[in-house]
Amino acid sequence: MPTGEIYFKHSLRVNDYLCQGCTTCMRTCPTAAIRIRGGKAVIADNKCVDCGECMKACPHKAIYIKQDDFGLIENYRYRVCLVPTAFIGQFDTKYKTKAIYSCLLKLGFTHIYEVEHEVARMMELYNMYMEDHPEIRTFISPYCPAVTRLIQVRFPSLVDNIIHVRAPLELASRVITQKLIDEGARRESIGVFYVTPCAAKIAAVKYPVSGKPTCVTGVINMDFLYNKVMLMLHDSDRNAQPINHTLNSRDVQWSLSGGEAPHFKGAHYAVDGLQNVLNFLEKLEDETVDAPGLVEMRICDQGCVGGVLTTQDRFVARKRLEYRAQLFERLERSKLRETPPEDLTLTPQWIKDMEIAEIKPRSIYKLNDNYAEAFKMAEQMKKIEKALPGVNCSACGAPSCAALAEDIVRGDAKMDTCIFINQNSDSSRDATKRIWGDRITAKNNKKEQ
Amino acid sequence: MHYTFTIERGNFADAGQASSNVKRTLKQLGVDPASIKRAVVALFEAEINAVAHAYGGTIDVDIDAEKVMMVVADEGPGIPNLELAMQEGWSTASPQVREMGYGAGMGLPNIKKNTDELKIDTKVGVGTTVTMIVKLV
Repeated sequence: MPTGEIYFKHSLRVNDYLCQGCTTCMRTCPTAAIRIRGGKAVIADNKCVDCGECMKACPHKAIYIKQDDFGLIENYRYRVCLVPTAFIGQFDTKYKTKAIYSCLLKLGFTHIYEVEHEVARMMELYNMYMEDHPEIRTFISPYCPAVTRLIQVRFPSLVDNIIHVRAPLELASRVITQKLIDEGARRESIGVFYVTPCAAKIAAVKYPVSGKPTCVTGVINMDFLYNKVMLMLHDSDRNAQPINHTLNSRDVQWSLSGGEAPHFKGAHYAVDGLQNVLNFLEKLEDETVDAPGLVEMRICDQGCVGGVLTTQDRFVARKRLEYRAQLFERLERSKLRETPPEDLTLTPQWIKDMEIAEIKPRSIYKLNDNYAEAFKMAEQMKKIEKALPGVNCSACGAPSCAALAEDIVRGDAKMDTCIFINQNSDSSRDATKRIWGDRITAKNNKKEQ
Repeated sequence: MHYTFTIERGNFADAGQASSNVKRTLKQLGVDPASIKRAVVALFEAEINAVAHAYGGTIDVDIDAEKVMMVVADEGPGIPNLELAMQEGWSTASPQVREMGYGAGMGLPNIKKNTDELKIDTKVGVGTTVTMIVKLV
């Protein structure tokens, strides 16, 4: 595997028993972080951005996300379930929000707090940062932690475009903790547990880019909690306790792609889905698009409802959230429901806690710290790439011929790992030629592009 | 390291491949992001100029230990008044080119801003060769 300093750990794991080494995940990975070794997928810590695409792609369910033990909540007197609305989007609209939340209470939580309560405050923090940095033309929302990490490793020149503010769940956990302390709880007796729709948010809690301590006690996978709630919803729907939940219609949709737009006055762009995000960042880096204003990006198609730990079709989940938002709006308009007041209180401590001093670029492309050495390696890599078949068959255990060339110059693979090159009988060479023709000649006759 | 690319008249959609390739190599070398950006922006501007005004051409890129040298040579109308062309806002681009978001008269000034050395050889009715150097160290 690629050598070098390990920057941080990840939440995505490979189950070696289930992994068939089929290469599907390896070909999906946007940072070429996966190799096949010993017949199993291996993820490189330095390259992984926790986007979860490998887990979505795996046909054998061999990639999983490590979560905290649910029993951990029992260690706290005040057990807060920090829930994003994407969780509500998992449930059919015939279930009332309060019915879902009372199931969470029955499961052992004492309080429920929706991350989206922090929309107004988060937007205030964004605006403060943007006002402080008039020199930046395009701001990138820090909402999706996988986007931030992707920029660090693949588009290092864009790190300064990211709004240097920590994830909303950090603010939410601080606000609810403070609220409980104000009501008389002791700090140590409060446990805040975040329900995550994806791997990136876990990584953001456990191994934050800011390097600052988190206020979240534990993380629970959304699919795990969904199963638990579904079982209860079936038998105890009618006994739902009323819950005073106060999200307004607009904030309900914040996690959806485009959800940040209504909160922002300037020009706004919503980019979702891995491929779209990659294309947009590429153009932004080359300055072939001019996008003054705020770019909101979500690695997952449709936003958080497309997260790898969600259980429902993302389009259906999106519609459900939109439906709930419309319902709230109707109720608010007909005065059957109060429009929750916007709370914009930001203590100096919260502002300080939410700051990110620096988002470090950590390019995965750099071949060597020494320029002369890197130059030699790059030259060699170009030559090797020319000699490889360009089929990207992955039989060498690398996602593409280019990745194998890089592995070779880094000393992690040898030329003869390529099965096209390493053929020792005329009959196998003939068989290959019947399918692929004379690859090397055909490839290199083509004008260099 | 040497790269060669061809330029096709009017093909704005496919422009940018040369700068993408250069960017990839410079990233491998660990060149600082600011220098990469300068080289990539300058090369893209020069390529777009050739796509918009010329009948075709080539891009030659040489990367060595100190610098990246990029030569964009086209067969085209040439630049009748180079001094004017170097001024911000001066443009002879056609309405069609402007409709695509190019032709704001920022091309050459932007190249100058982003390069350490710039040489323009132009002959009316023959073509233009733009030689750009961005220092890496």
